[in-house]
Amino acid sequence: MRAGETRLDGNAIGGLLLELFGREMTIAVTTCRACGARGEIARLEVYVRCPGTVVRCPVCGAVLMRFVEGGERIWVDFGGVRSLEIDRPPGRRER
Amino acid sequence: MVDTTFETPRVRTLVLEAGAWPGHRAGQHLDVRLTAEDGYQAQRSYSLASAPGDAPAITVERLDDGEVSPYLVDELRPGDRFEIRGPIGGHFVWDAADGGRIFLAAGGSGIVPLMAMVRHRARSASDTRMRLLYSSRSWDDVIYRDELGELAERGDGLDVVHTLTRSRPPGWAGHRRRVDRELLGEVAWPAEDDAHAFVCGPTAFVERVASGLVELGYAPEFVKTERFGPTGG
Repeated sequence: MRAGETRLDGNAIGGLLLELFGREMTIAVTTCRACGARGEIARLEVYVRCPGTVVRCPVCGAVLMRFVEGGERIWVDFGGVRSLEIDRPPGRRER
Repeated sequence: MVDTTFETPRVRTLVLEAGAWPGHRAGQHLDVRLTAEDGYQAQRSYSLASAPGDAPAITVERLDDGEVSPYLVDELRPGDRFEIRGPIGGHFVWDAADGGRIFLAAGGSGIVPLMAMVRHRARSASDTRMRLLYSSRSWDDVIYRDELGELAERGDGLDVVHTLTRSRPPGWAGHRRRVDRELLGEVAWPAEDDAHAFVCGPTAFVERVASGLVELGYAPEFVKTERFGPTGG
């Protein structure tokens, strides 16, 4: 990673969320508990400082989620997320 | 990894065989995780280069101070195994059935997810008009150069426009400057044509091109962007 580029977008946690939820989650929409801003996970701010990851609201900067990946376990804190909204899987396959 | 091709001396494509690969959409990426013998792990995201329906393939540029890319480009051999997670992403994707007029802008290895779209268009015999503006440092740095040339020569609605920002081969008659608003105005579809744009490259490239397209009248929601990485190295 290049110096000064530690801030990523929500795609950076797409793989982790795929592992946790078993489905593509970057287009799921979160609501920030602090300021009420709604946005796609792909648009959130992600700071990776291995083994921990912090996800912040792009509007107010509040911490929405924290993850620590270590060995056999993943530790998850969704405390800054008031709600998470996902489309149901389509009745027909997309392809 | 089952097959590999050097696209340029510093860029290599890895074709993967994944046990339970669910299939991907053009524009998605995957995570690669490498684990050392002492348990140290490094993870990076790479865009998928192959068309939906084909085996997952990633194209990796060696970053000399990187932790993961030198291994993937120089060390990995066919038959070697590593952990992947994906496909990932639902925003920066294009499906041939979406139609429209598609403008693609690539800076350097930002071409990779856009190449998946170009290949998807060709593979599905789509008649969607697609125009690619591709900025590279030199002719030798152009990834997928021959394949892009062949696809454009078919004359079935794909245009490929190169700009070479650092050095040009003798007799080069094409564009020679970085992508700015003026070049976009020349090459991009007019905004009134229901045009959709996908922009991928380094952060500065993406911001310049995206704001240039909006100034030209593109609706911001029709300009989809991805900075490469998302995690480099």
